[in-house]
Amino acid sequence: MPPPATDVPGGVPPHPAGSPRRDPVLLLAVAALLLALRVVLGFHEARPPAAPTTGALSGADAVRWRTLEAGLVEARATNRPMLYDFTADWCPPCRSLQRQVFADPEAAAEIESRFVPVRVLDRQREEGRNARWVDSLQARYRVNSFPTLIVTDADGRESTRIEGFMGRDATFGQLRGTGVSLRWGVTQPAPTGRR
Amino acid sequence: MNLALVLATLRQRFTSPIRIFIVLLFGWMPMLPILLAPSAGFAALGDCYFIALALAAGMIGQDLSSGILQLLLARPVTRAQYVFSRWGAVAAGTFLITVLQTLAAALIMALRGAPVQWDQAALFLANNALLALGTAAVMALLSSLAAGLGDLGLLFLVFISAQVLEKLGMLKSWEWLARGAGELSRGLKPELDLAPFFHGGPVAWFAVVSYLSTVTLCLGLAVMVMNRRELSYASSGN
Repeated sequence: MPPPATDVPGGVPPHPAGSPRRDPVLLLAVAALLLALRVVLGFHEARPPAAPTTGALSGADAVRWRTLEAGLVEARATNRPMLYDFTADWCPPCRSLQRQVFADPEAAAEIESRFVPVRVLDRQREEGRNARWVDSLQARYRVNSFPTLIVTDADGRESTRIEGFMGRDATFGQLRGTGVSLRWGVTQPAPTGRR
Repeated sequence: MNLALVLATLRQRFTSPIRIFIVLLFGWMPMLPILLAPSAGFAALGDCYFIALALAAGMIGQDLSSGILQLLLARPVTRAQYVFSRWGAVAAGTFLITVLQTLAAALIMALRGAPVQWDQAALFLANNALLALGTAAVMALLSSLAAGLGDLGLLFLVFISAQVLEKLGMLKSWEWLARGAGELSRGLKPELDLAPFFHGGPVAWFAVVSYLSTVTLCLGLAVMVMNRRELSYASSGN
């Protein structure tokens, strides 16, 4: 292709909008800056929270997971939605979710006050099979990746699905989308994952 | 952005029978759950991703393969203006469909006696506007790389590769690979939940930055690719 009209000496008038092939330098600079910020924030979000000071078992969940049966009974009695955590030991994002959300005592307290939490642990890889209720719940809610959080009413009707782990704030943002009011994070100056 | 190019793109997209069919399919099928359960709310409409894809597919690639681009760029239009106009037109077209969808859903809800929650409607529209802008930006980049409808093939290829890499990362416990591939996969559908801005609560700044980074990067790269493309009637594969 011949050079752009603006580069042709003599005769051809310059392009009214400047060079027709001018790179959007400002846009690219902003994109590079945002990309760098994204990487930094990504690492920051993935960092485990500081050790809890009170109320939680070190290295374990602060959420008190119910068994399925107890959870269903409690959900009906209290009219709170169920929060299923479909997870697996081998899954790194599940561990991030556990460390950053479920191990945090304040977040856990808030979750417990709004939902009835039930953990559904996949053991297929470790033991070659799952308990029947695990398979049944995975099939019912079409879970094909971990972690998956599903909010249902006591009758099992799914209202919210969160697949993957995008960071503690994003997780709470999506849980708020369930219409269940979550105080956690509003009253806190900053989430613990960003300490 | 060039208004004439935006309008031409909209005219081109909305006169393609196959695109109209797909838009109708994905635009009006979600009305069914609203008809059956009007209290389900606007969330039952799903999102505008497939509508955006239907309108965006081949947004630049088809001009490349048909030779229209050579004629277009003979006019006083920069390549950046061309890319931004295509992007803006696809996003605007998608948003227009979403607005019609929302109004239709609100009408159904009102006629069926269900309460119409306008704050939900506003959130639904805002989230979909961002999704439309994001998806159009991703497709602009892919379409600048591939002629014809090759952008859809590229999208599929990147999606499958990201899924495979994410599963591999999980299998091998390589968190960096699982996370990176997950980001790539999510980058193909850039969306941002504005609920914290509507209902209060902590804003997920990582999600905000991720979204903005994907959109700006895709647009910037699309313009760069187009600027480096040699266009002539003699060149093949353009």
